[in-house]
Amino acid sequence: MEAEARNGKRVRVLIAILGLDQHETGALAVSAMLRDAGVEVIYLGRFASPESVAAAAVEESADVVGISCHSWEYIHYLDDLLRALERGGERIPLMIGGSVISPSDKARLLEKGVSAVFGAGTSSDDIVATVRKLAGAFGS
Amino acid sequence: MPTDANAGKPYYRPEDISGIDYATDLNDPGAYPYTRGRRTQPRHDANSWILRELSGEGSPAHSNRQFRDLIARGAVGLDVIGDAPSVGCLDPDHPFARAAVGTQGVSICRLQDFIELYEGIPLDRITLSHSLPSWFTVACLYLLARNHEVAPGALRGSVIQAPLYGEDYCYAVHMPVELRLRLTLDSIEFCTREMPRFHSFVEDTYFVSDGGPDVVDEMALGFVEIRKVVRELMKRGLNIDSFGPRIAILVNCRMGFFEEIAKIRASRRIFARMMREEFGAKDSRSWSANITAHTAGSALTAQQPANNVVRGAVQAVALALAGVQAMEISTFDEAYRTPSREAHLLALRTQQIVGLETDCSKVADPLGGSYYVESLTNKVERRIADRIHEIEALGDPVDLSNRGYFRRLLEQAMITRAAEIQNGSVAKVGVNVCQIPEEEDTMLREVVETKIEPCLDHIERIREFKRTRDQARVRSTLTEIRSRAADPKESLIVPAISALAADATIGEISGAMRMAYGMRYDPLSGTPAPF
Repeated sequence: MEAEARNGKRVRVLIAILGLDQHETGALAVSAMLRDAGVEVIYLGRFASPESVAAAAVEESADVVGISCHSWEYIHYLDDLLRALERGGERIPLMIGGSVISPSDKARLLEKGVSAVFGAGTSSDDIVATVRKLAGAFGS
Repeated sequence: MPTDANAGKPYYRPEDISGIDYATDLNDPGAYPYTRGRRTQPRHDANSWILRELSGEGSPAHSNRQFRDLIARGAVGLDVIGDAPSVGCLDPDHPFARAAVGTQGVSICRLQDFIELYEGIPLDRITLSHSLPSWFTVACLYLLARNHEVAPGALRGSVIQAPLYGEDYCYAVHMPVELRLRLTLDSIEFCTREMPRFHSFVEDTYFVSDGGPDVVDEMALGFVEIRKVVRELMKRGLNIDSFGPRIAILVNCRMGFFEEIAKIRASRRIFARMMREEFGAKDSRSWSANITAHTAGSALTAQQPANNVVRGAVQAVALALAGVQAMEISTFDEAYRTPSREAHLLALRTQQIVGLETDCSKVADPLGGSYYVESLTNKVERRIADRIHEIEALGDPVDLSNRGYFRRLLEQAMITRAAEIQNGSVAKVGVNVCQIPEEEDTMLREVVETKIEPCLDHIERIREFKRTRDQARVRSTLTEIRSRAADPKESLIVPAISALAADATIGEISGAMRMAYGMRYDPLSGTPAPF
């Protein structure tokens, strides 16, 4: 089944890893799982910055941005990234996932404005459903 | 099980190993083809293998304290990992480094950092292993030995080489494969001459397989790289026996207990036959592979982190039974962070319990002759050999790298491994079976979740250092590096030694080399060259 955004097009998700974190398994695994669910994935990969993520998200008309993290570098980039994803009064939904994220980190991230946070052991069904929900709400 | 190596039979019988000829296929431990290990006599003492743990965190001085602590607790070797900027050949003042300085390893970019890192460590007694760019490590160690008035020739230890796969998987240094391979060859050639006791050629199949390739692809990729490097060194005119004895293979050890043991035994046999029959090595020390191992970080879970202590112990037993020259256990906090002090101690104690309390290393190759283990060793050996042949038939590994072949292989392997856990086809306790509610998952939480802050004062220290050094001297050595790098016949180690002695840094020297290969000085953020 193809995942549809609110405007009827296929959902587009940009996946990236910030900074110098080189662990890619999570990013690639989530990309594959989303593709299997009919989501269009734009894989930006390693060595992304808040600016490069935001630029690519706009350029690619991404409905959702997903950041995979295996280090704590994301903490340092988070405020800049949230700001960079704001466009004309709304923000491209941001989801962050990775085994380094503890339950207390999760609460903090949601409070800051991250739309969804996935810690270790999140199921693919959860991730796909969340992406659909976020994409459906964005642009409405 | 990640592969089907164990599939098929409920038990094994004499006919499963009837084709084995003891003298030619197994032989005694310490004898060709070394299937049963390098040593005739095992050492059932604190030195059964080199006990070490991955270390390095924050500034060099902070890491030095960590090292002294490990040595005081029984480590006889150090395995130093650089932080993300250092392993990527970037300085701590690089715009991308700020969030990562010292958080996943030690920040190390200049000779002075090496001096502080090893302050007071007896360089001629402790083996120093490095997961850092090889040319940089070799050049700094050479200078450091001189600084300590130790002959460079007395240095022991090792450095990993990752010319073909690093860029695609975890160790990107933002350099083309041709330059990466050249730096590998240059550093090995330099050590063969100047640091002959140092293992400058560690084929690291650990990093390339953790979370990705299975045992067969792990070793096939490793052998493809070893074979490429050996051939290139021989093309340079080096005698195989001048560097053969200093080749080591750093392997992974996952949870497939017997499969990992079979892999190590099979790899020793493949290596011995390859070195003697194919490459013509005459020195018996060139035939027997040094095998060292890390237990798989990817086998460890964020859920119920105390379970990881058990996984480390099981893997350590497998490695003791396989007979390895050095061991390192990925610590229980691996899913969250580089090892904490508590985790280091538990990992060392695990090794010591296996080494001293059990009889695992009382005889060499205690599993030799087992119907199952010998049959599995044969099967794994055959599959690795077939895979090496298959990959080599596709073309030269440098071309394959440039065509993205390895990248695709590694990507697919990562996706497959992750899917196995997601779909439950591979059991993972605490993840897809035997889970507990998050609120009950509290044991060791406070340790694993303690975050390491980026070492911002070290960034300031490096900025100050760059402001106050002899700029003209730095500029001239960097110009020299760029011009030497532009001539593929030149070795880059001696110029790198001169540049580091002149206070140039890893980021600057790498940038100068990149420019000689038509790349930008700083491919990540576009900082202009300082010369």
